[in-house]
Amino acid sequence: MSEPTPTAATPGRDSPAAGTPEPGAPAPSTPAPSTPAPSTPAPSTPALSTPWPARGTARPLRAVLRLAVLAVSVMVSVAVPFYLEGFWLQTGLFAMSAAIGAIGINLLTGATGQLSLGHAFFLAVGAYSYVFLSTDLGLPTPLAAVAAVIVAGVSGGLFSPIAGRLRGAYLGIATLALIFVGQHILFNAEPVTGGFNGRPVPPMELFGLVFADTPELVVLNVPFGSLERLWFLGIALLAGAAVFARGVLRGRPGLAMNTIRDHEIAAGVMGVPVARYRAGVFVLSSMYGGLAGVLVALVFQQVVPDYFGMLLSLDYLAMIVIGGLGSVAGAVAGAAFVSLLPQLLTRYSDALPLVAEPGSGGVSPAEAARILYGAAVVAVVLFLPGGLAGLATRLGRVRLKELRWAKSAPAPASRR
Amino acid sequence: MGKIGTRAGVAALALLSLAVAASATGCASGKATGGGGGEGAGAAGGDGVKTGPGVTATTITVSALTDLTGPYASFGKSQTQAQQLYFDQVNAAGGVCGRKYELVVRDHGYDTQKAVAAYTEVAPKSAAIAQFIGSPMITALKQRIDGDKLLTIPMAWATTLLGSRAIQVTGTTYDVDMINAVEFLTKEKGITSGDKIGHLYFEGDYGESSLNGSKYAAGKLGLQIVEQKIKATDQDMSAQVAAFKAAGVKAVLVSVGPRQTASLVGVSLAKGMDVPFVGSNSAYSPQLLATPAGPALLKDFYYVSAGTPVSAGNAAMQRLVADYQAKYPGETLDSGVPTGWSAAMIVDEAMKKACEAKDLTRDGVLNAHRSQSGFGGDFGTPMDFTFFDKPATRSSYVLKPDKAALGGAVVFKEAEVSGLAKDYPVPVG
Amino acid sequence: MAVFLELLVNGISVGAVYALIALGFVVIFKATEVVNFTHASLLLAGGYVIARLHPLIGFWAALAAGIAAAALVGALVEFLILRRAHVGSRGVLAIVTIGVDILLTTELTRRIGTEVLALGDPWGDRVLRLGPVTVAETRVVALAVAAALIVAFLLAFKFTGWGVAMRATAEDAETAALMGVRLGRVSLSAWAVAGALAAVAAMFLCVFPTPGLDRGTAAAAMKAFPAAILGGLDSTTGALAGGLIVGVTETLMSGYQSELAFLGRGIGDAAPFLVMIVILLLRPSGLFGTKEPARV
Repeated sequence: MSEPTPTAATPGRDSPAAGTPEPGAPAPSTPAPSTPAPSTPAPSTPALSTPWPARGTARPLRAVLRLAVLAVSVMVSVAVPFYLEGFWLQTGLFAMSAAIGAIGINLLTGATGQLSLGHAFFLAVGAYSYVFLSTDLGLPTPLAAVAAVIVAGVSGGLFSPIAGRLRGAYLGIATLALIFVGQHILFNAEPVTGGFNGRPVPPMELFGLVFADTPELVVLNVPFGSLERLWFLGIALLAGAAVFARGVLRGRPGLAMNTIRDHEIAAGVMGVPVARYRAGVFVLSSMYGGLAGVLVALVFQQVVPDYFGMLLSLDYLAMIVIGGLGSVAGAVAGAAFVSLLPQLLTRYSDALPLVAEPGSGGVSPAEAARILYGAAVVAVVLFLPGGLAGLATRLGRVRLKELRWAKSAPAPASRR
Repeated sequence: MGKIGTRAGVAALALLSLAVAASATGCASGKATGGGGGEGAGAAGGDGVKTGPGVTATTITVSALTDLTGPYASFGKSQTQAQQLYFDQVNAAGGVCGRKYELVVRDHGYDTQKAVAAYTEVAPKSAAIAQFIGSPMITALKQRIDGDKLLTIPMAWATTLLGSRAIQVTGTTYDVDMINAVEFLTKEKGITSGDKIGHLYFEGDYGESSLNGSKYAAGKLGLQIVEQKIKATDQDMSAQVAAFKAAGVKAVLVSVGPRQTASLVGVSLAKGMDVPFVGSNSAYSPQLLATPAGPALLKDFYYVSAGTPVSAGNAAMQRLVADYQAKYPGETLDSGVPTGWSAAMIVDEAMKKACEAKDLTRDGVLNAHRSQSGFGGDFGTPMDFTFFDKPATRSSYVLKPDKAALGGAVVFKEAEVSGLAKDYPVPVG
Repeated sequence: MAVFLELLVNGISVGAVYALIALGFVVIFKATEVVNFTHASLLLAGGYVIARLHPLIGFWAALAAGIAAAALVGALVEFLILRRAHVGSRGVLAIVTIGVDILLTTELTRRIGTEVLALGDPWGDRVLRLGPVTVAETRVVALAVAAALIVAFLLAFKFTGWGVAMRATAEDAETAALMGVRLGRVSLSAWAVAGALAAVAAMFLCVFPTPGLDRGTAAAAMKAFPAAILGGLDSTTGALAGGLIVGVTETLMSGYQSELAFLGRGIGDAAPFLVMIVILLLRPSGLFGTKEPARV
């Protein structure tokens, strides 16, 4: 009963980039972070044509393959700002920010099993701290960004006495207080937050490069405005965030977190310091939220309290369920799905059946997007355990199953 | 293996930069400078008219960033339909400057992120924004709109939107309306120095701008304001009424949404607080008359607006009403119809003037717009566009709900500038 | 003093409505341990049916239809979705209910559109005067109904087979199943009952002092979260207590906001959550909730 070995039921695992299931050009960034996948005995390698692949030969082959995928994804993500218009870049940036935040909440909710409705609060802390630290305290912007992430972590830590005392559903709902009290403060602490209208966000300045429209910059004949510049920053942040989270999930902490999720008492009996882990994951997830907040603030160029409400928190929960609980690739896939869907529908509403022109009385694009996204959550839990990321893994596994003679992939390893 | 991956990644990156360099310099990218067709800034078309973004040889693209699925959906729908009607009529009559209008509608559902995304999408291909609902959304984009020099008509009347050359706040701002409201109360409703008046307002720009006005007027007239701030999600005004009643207010100013107005007025009368109520123009909606609060609203409730009600008798309004009803039979006729129509008209006038100057660039459109000083009169009080740090007009109508009237309201007192509003120093930005 | 009394009475009367909403949460949580976010859309569904039908069949018939419709929607959600969901934990089921809520709320608000729908209730805007204090009749009725329903539930849990099955499930689902309790039936009935309660709550939520049902009505369901949890998620008495505490806190804080200006304007909305946190710190399972035993 206390066996920590998980059944194959729950989370989608990080599959190599080829499996990142969000297709289409708009977010070619998404494959990038998940590529440097180390040594899962990944089943999706198409090269496996013999029942007993000699490990020695499979490795270099896989390495080459992974390299190719990495190269392609880096190539695509670098090329994107040269071709796509600002609208898509911005949508992509929103998706990247959402992906970072979703990775954070997936560590907490997906991997450790702790429901949190307060994620939007930590995004707000990150965004507003960045503005406050850089504008009012005059910190250099990169330093302000790092400090903002730390502040978000600290505020997560301050909540941990409450988090430590409460369990399950009680903690989940208690985090709602963060949203409502947090927004109350955002609206009222005008000297710091700017009140209802929020505050302008100073552009990031890194090694002499300003992430804004001015001074003008032209790269290879393409004018590089703030969105084009931020694109690269977003890619870098997302890649870093993803690699780090993957490290956490695949190492001892990840195993401990999953054990806490599957059976808290058993975890304690087995020597996992449960309270410390729970607090630690809460802080880490808050920091991811804070980083997502900084990025979204840079893209918005203005922080407004309205944005950091209940709906944002719910969006994040929907993202990780749609993408796949407990994995980095899942968080990224879910974030891409939830951020891109409404934009795609709005943009191409005239070409889609069933979607009416706004105001004509039918289902408008915004409504269609909400309905599809609600339906996606439901469809995933009904038909697609493991979410989009799990789907990709399974597609890979189906082929392998036909060939598999021996159980070559031990479950715990795949779980991580 | 991780090492191999990293090293290879670096190599790949280098390779790829080369690849991109090759393709981009090969001008495969539509974004590369000069690749944008005939839309380069300042390029003159065949007819000698300089064109800017959003203007081609045959079309002028105008955008509407509106709310069709959020809290202001009814207002947004009327406005958008009125604007569609306006541009259709202009197009049918031959268009402007040899070009036809194309209206691009984007619904942001009163969500800041969607609004920012929609702006990013439409701004590069628009010559003007004829409608932008939502003060928080516009505030978030104010700097960019200014930088883009994109003529924008906000459908929000907070003073924070003033002070930008590209943004044309139409009519009065909320604070000016409230000053006129307070003066109306003292002149016609027997409020005198020393009295207390309540002010129920929304958190945010709308409420706080209004409160600025009421406080200013109260200070000048020796009145005392009893404040009650609520959120848009609050529905039941019992607690607020109790507080007003306890304070002994002689009248109540209302700067909230229609729902809250209905609750406030209904509860007040039921609890025996029978005082006059004066609302901002967003506090009333004709749909309320069908609810149980209808009779209470018909009793002693007024609202202040620079927009002429659709029930007004002037010929232009009657024609608009007839055309609107012909095109959208059965649709509610609320204040959004003339508001949307007149905003479309402002954009159209600017285009016409800019065309005369043979300059349809964004600068040209803005210059043309800012040269007009006596705009309108049929759909709202006359406006002066030559400055942008003050409201375009300071005179507002006092309107009264009326079940029989078109649009559910009639003029109770003709538009005028109160003595106080004339000298009121408007806070900007 | 008169102000305080007036605010207190109003707070209690608003609290009665919150208690009815919270009761719905509690019934589902008790039977299935799922935090039900779909409750907001069940409210909207019940209210919508009442609003649309009352001109045709009269208020009481419409109310019955609304209750039946919301119960049906609740049961369908359980039967078609939650029962079949492949998830590892209750937390994930909670997220599933968020998805369902988004789906239903979007469709219902689309149908409501921009209208404000009256419910045609018989109480209208009449108020009851108790000395210096006035309170809307609708709210007095709401309080009576909430109290009656809660007593009914307490009795039902104690004495009916359904109640015993539900308590047994709440105690230990596996053992209950082994003893012959049909878990599916327990959870299905809990959802149906919660739907019915939501329709009753929606009715009281949309009559005087509020103008009617509109797309924003569902937001009130949010306020029932602190109500349900600070009473204890598995306690029916707790739902009543929690609802009243939230209603009174909110009303007092709003009414005295001029005196409480240092807390910021509009503190009434945040205050219930602050109270919730304080109570949870003192009693992690709420005022009346049972402490979850550590199960191995």
